[in-house]
Amino acid sequence: MSTSSARKRPEAEEKTLTGELRTSPPRTSTKKQLPSIPKNTVPVTKPASPAPSSQSTNGTHASYGPFYLEYSLLAEFTLVVKQKLPGVYVQPSYRSALMWFGVIFIRHGLYQDGVFKFTVYIPDNYPDGDCPRLVFDLPVFHPLVDPLSGELDVKRAFAKWRRNHNHIWQVLMYARRVFYKIDTTSPLNPEAAVLYEKDIQLFKSKVVDSVKLCSSHLFDQPKIEDPYAITFSPWNPAIHDEAREKMLTQKKKSEDQHCKSMHVSGLSWVKPGSVQPFSKEEKTMPT
Amino acid sequence: MDRMSWLSKLNPRATAGHRPSRGPGLQSPVAADPETCLMVFKNHWAQVLRILEPRGAGPGSADDQSAVRNHTHQLLQLLAEERARAGGAPGPILDFVLAEDLLERLLRWHVAGDFGEERRAEQLKLYEVLLGQARQPLLRHAPVLRPLLRLLGLCAAAPAAPALQASLVLLLSQLCVCVAREPGLLERFFYRPPGPGPGSGADSSSGPADLLLFSLLVPFVHHEGVTGQQARDALLLIMAMSAGNCTVASYITDHSYFCPVLATGLSALYSSLPRKIEVRGDDWHFLRREDWAGVASLALFMNSLEFCSAVIQVAHPLVQQQLVDYVHNGFLVPVMGPALHKTSVEEMIASTAYLELFVRSVAEPALLRAFLRFILLHRHDGATILDTLVARLGTNSRLCMVSLSLFRTLLSLNCEDVMLQLVLRYLIPCSHVMLSQRRAVKDLDLYGRSAAKFLSLIPRCCHPESLPPPDRDEEHATWAKGHGSPSVDTSSVVTVPKPATPSRLSFFMRQQSASGAEGLGAVPRSPGLASPASSPGHRPPRWEEVAELDGNYLEYLRDARLSVDRCAWACRVWSAPYDGERPGPDSLAPTPAPALPISPDHFGHGPPTPRTKKRGLPEEAGGSSAGPGDSRPLPAPDAQDPGALVNGAPESGRPGGGAEGAVTVKKVRRCPQAEREALPTENGAPQPPAPGWEGPSVDSLLDELLARAPAEPNGAGLSIESFSEELQELEAAMRNGGGGPPRAQLPPPHAEEDEAEDEDEAFAAPPRPADPLAQVLASPPRALGPPPSQPFTGPFVAVLFSKLENMLHNSLYVNVLLTGLVAQLACYPQPLLRSFLLNANMVFQPSVKSLLQVLGSVKNKIESFAASQDDFPALLLKAKKYLIARGKLDWGDTPNAAPALRRSDTLVKSRKPSLGELLLRHTQSPTRARAAAQLALQQVREGPVLQALAGAGLFRGAAEKQGEALRVKNAVYCAVVFTEFLKELAAIAQAHAVTSPFLLEPPEE
Repeated sequence: MSTSSARKRPEAEEKTLTGELRTSPPRTSTKKQLPSIPKNTVPVTKPASPAPSSQSTNGTHASYGPFYLEYSLLAEFTLVVKQKLPGVYVQPSYRSALMWFGVIFIRHGLYQDGVFKFTVYIPDNYPDGDCPRLVFDLPVFHPLVDPLSGELDVKRAFAKWRRNHNHIWQVLMYARRVFYKIDTTSPLNPEAAVLYEKDIQLFKSKVVDSVKLCSSHLFDQPKIEDPYAITFSPWNPAIHDEAREKMLTQKKKSEDQHCKSMHVSGLSWVKPGSVQPFSKEEKTMPT
Repeated sequence: MDRMSWLSKLNPRATAGHRPSRGPGLQSPVAADPETCLMVFKNHWAQVLRILEPRGAGPGSADDQSAVRNHTHQLLQLLAEERARAGGAPGPILDFVLAEDLLERLLRWHVAGDFGEERRAEQLKLYEVLLGQARQPLLRHAPVLRPLLRLLGLCAAAPAAPALQASLVLLLSQLCVCVAREPGLLERFFYRPPGPGPGSGADSSSGPADLLLFSLLVPFVHHEGVTGQQARDALLLIMAMSAGNCTVASYITDHSYFCPVLATGLSALYSSLPRKIEVRGDDWHFLRREDWAGVASLALFMNSLEFCSAVIQVAHPLVQQQLVDYVHNGFLVPVMGPALHKTSVEEMIASTAYLELFVRSVAEPALLRAFLRFILLHRHDGATILDTLVARLGTNSRLCMVSLSLFRTLLSLNCEDVMLQLVLRYLIPCSHVMLSQRRAVKDLDLYGRSAAKFLSLIPRCCHPESLPPPDRDEEHATWAKGHGSPSVDTSSVVTVPKPATPSRLSFFMRQQSASGAEGLGAVPRSPGLASPASSPGHRPPRWEEVAELDGNYLEYLRDARLSVDRCAWACRVWSAPYDGERPGPDSLAPTPAPALPISPDHFGHGPPTPRTKKRGLPEEAGGSSAGPGDSRPLPAPDAQDPGALVNGAPESGRPGGGAEGAVTVKKVRRCPQAEREALPTENGAPQPPAPGWEGPSVDSLLDELLARAPAEPNGAGLSIESFSEELQELEAAMRNGGGGPPRAQLPPPHAEEDEAEDEDEAFAAPPRPADPLAQVLASPPRALGPPPSQPFTGPFVAVLFSKLENMLHNSLYVNVLLTGLVAQLACYPQPLLRSFLLNANMVFQPSVKSLLQVLGSVKNKIESFAASQDDFPALLLKAKKYLIARGKLDWGDTPNAAPALRRSDTLVKSRKPSLGELLLRHTQSPTRARAAAQLALQQVREGPVLQALAGAGLFRGAAEKQGEALRVKNAVYCAVVFTEFLKELAAIAQAHAVTSPFLLEPPEE
């Protein structure tokens, strides 16, 4: 999860991400690829996506295919975390690594204060298939968002999904950008496009309505039931004050925890910029 | 008698239970009020004075002494019981003691007389009890401290008799405890012996004052037992105090021998270590704690090393620096260096194992730095220690295994300097990749292409599909019946010595591991993705026993994840990311291929004789040890026959086989390489007998050996063991058909092999010019290895790769260690290294061999072997069963039996038979050696050798069978290990793509 605590989240004051999002410290969440099964949850095993890897030339290592897919997605997720996209948070679902839950916080511009939940669907022949789909839980009023399904027109940006060149973080970045830089060509929501061009005031008020609508549904149960779905709950000081405190002091703490869990430290006496061993001043070693 | 009981009463431990009620008319001091106590005290003192006063009366009679002793005892008790006054001021008795200068006068009286051992002991005891029991601070008062210092000064003047040592050290350690509580006191312990103002403290005007408290302890630092331990503890306290006290620190460094004593003590202790480590069990490769704890000399050494480490940890930087320097220049360079270069393989094995143990045990970074600096930069006989050690990886014996262990330990340090010298410096120039590929160095393999590539190299014959038919009786698998090492027989699983099990084998054990719930079935699987192991239904029943190997990829993934993350985390402290840009490719000139530090004196005819210069200033390689500016002469190309002997390549059928045989004999005699090759159990693949060998030179050879025995160079002492071992090897060689020792099938020619050979030659005695064979040995056969202009990825990688290529012929243990080392290397997150080892998409320069290429060739070898071996599937099954059983045995017996010294603890797995039990001996007496040699010689003359000579043909058949069995055994084990290794590498490759970005961030200062 990219909820880096270094980032300010003014929203946190009135709304709090709950559930997994709250309890998972940033570091550990990248290890979600092999989650331990929460109690009382029966994993719905999808009809195994065979995902025959293109390299599988013989029978045996075709059986490793699922690992490639899973690791590819995990690697994509790691890239997302690296990007630190402002205001964008995603979390792979528990049931399938091919489905990621996300939320975007819009901090300024026409859609300011918008909190839009969405789901990313990744094709099971990833990365050799089509581009991932991104569907907002509620159809945001936007030229590129389908007013009925809530699906964002991702394809226009990724006409052909090219492995190694296209990554999921780009989709997320694109999803964020459409709210700051409005594009009206060949819209999925022609009304929005036309209004934006012709009657910006009405467009603005529709957007405000849409933002409000989304906010009013913020505390709804997630559309897709999943242990890792992102849920919001009203601010409850009993729970959230402490959690908030933790998040704000997270940086230092998680560092310590990590040190403890790893408690291996490498050694280096190489002076930065040098390629000679023991080029560092001797006294600098901690005793 | 009387004195003894008195002393025992003085002893705080003895008095703990009951108060002494001796002495006429003394009430229990506890009950009495202070006034009364003072009165009683004064009374006793008056009586003592009556004896002390009459001057000139000398020491007094025995009666006098006894009386003083008794009164002193009472005085002591009263003083010890007294408490300070309300405001912390001295109690009335102490006041009186101070005013009367009581202790000083008492001491003076004793000294004036015959201040023998007995009286010294009494005085020492007196202070010991006083300090141990007093209820108010005493040392801050000069009238207490002064006589105490004087007493210590007297002890310093004359070395304490053994009987006194314990009391002295006890008192000193008690003083240290007191001073540690009140550090301000420390400087008052500086003492200037007969100075005008006794005990006047540290006043630097008239020469250095002695910190007696400290200097008296130093001689005990290496003592065994309680006294030594007390002394070391006390010294540590002083060291800790020195950290905040410059005066003390500079006293220690400038005016005491502490650091040199410690460091040279290590040298002395090292010299008493066993010169050879005798173990049965062909899997032994490093010293576990239970191995060395039982070996007194080694335990003593480790104690001292630990102490050095502790001192460095707590002491003032001045002391730290000095001690580190002394360890380097006084132990590592003059002792460890030559030890690593001893001429006998046994000694090399021992010293390498010791070095590994030391490096593994030293936790203190500053001390570890000295060790690493020594290994990486120090030059011994022209080559860095590192180069020598790397070259030994290419050998074929246990020396290879202990060297592998050493490198495993080195890699586990995650030390930038080590990795820089071993690998990275060769990769930094990026000359190994095509120019267009340089950018791709940083690329992550997101989609598992490399993993797929590795997995695709699993030999066909090892796929689960190619199982033996269920009805096939595995008894057909008879690879070792009667001949091979007993350890291949699955029925003997219970009794085999256990291997130290590096990672691949540990996968065979997972089901037994503590996290029992996580057996394969219960592995939490990612939902939606089928685990390949999830449908066991299709397996033939027989294979279920070993099927865990087929479904363990998830375990590899987890393990790889952990290892890569851990390594990435550890490497955060490095100075650069090594991603092809930082440091830039130009920061190091490309390393020319024959970058091997071989100087002519390796061959014995160079001007500097190694033995004479070893005590000189430590040589150190400059940083760019292999740089082009290096002035070391490149060896001349060999005119004779470059390939033949160098790599031990089979040369059967070559003309001139007779000479060949003679060469072999020579090699057996002098060259460790030959000894290695002569181990028939190690490597299988015996050489077809060379035609035309006539063996009669044995006798003369033995005579030569015998003549040499008493006067082994370097005082190494020819041990009986190694001598008879040499003879046995010789015998074995004879039995094997007389064609020289069975040669290992060595990897194809390589620069590093070359180097290994050079190293070996360096160990050999100087060749006699008259001997053409010796010339063959001595002339450096170059001409191998790529020309200088070609990129070179370094000797370490080269030797590992060539070892890997030879996997089919390596012993199981070598392969387990070897693959473990490569896997460890592959876990490093630096893009240069990662891309070189793991990225299947990289395009290298044509001359650069990639790991995948190497593994591909192994795959082919295994497949063609399997094709040639009818019962391969059954053998494979058997091998897997054996390994699994063996692994379980290890875990079952000793759950956490490895008392890890520190970071490499995960690697240190326990092994039952301790080395201590397994006899660590060394024989130093030349006469004993000689006697043993004669005995052995006699047996040889009368025994099997002659028989072998007589009936060589008869024995040849058996030897061949045995060799064949070994060859098959090694190959089948290799197939198992290789398959697991590929899975491991694939998993590591995948893990790199998902390393958490947080792990790679440099630590915030």
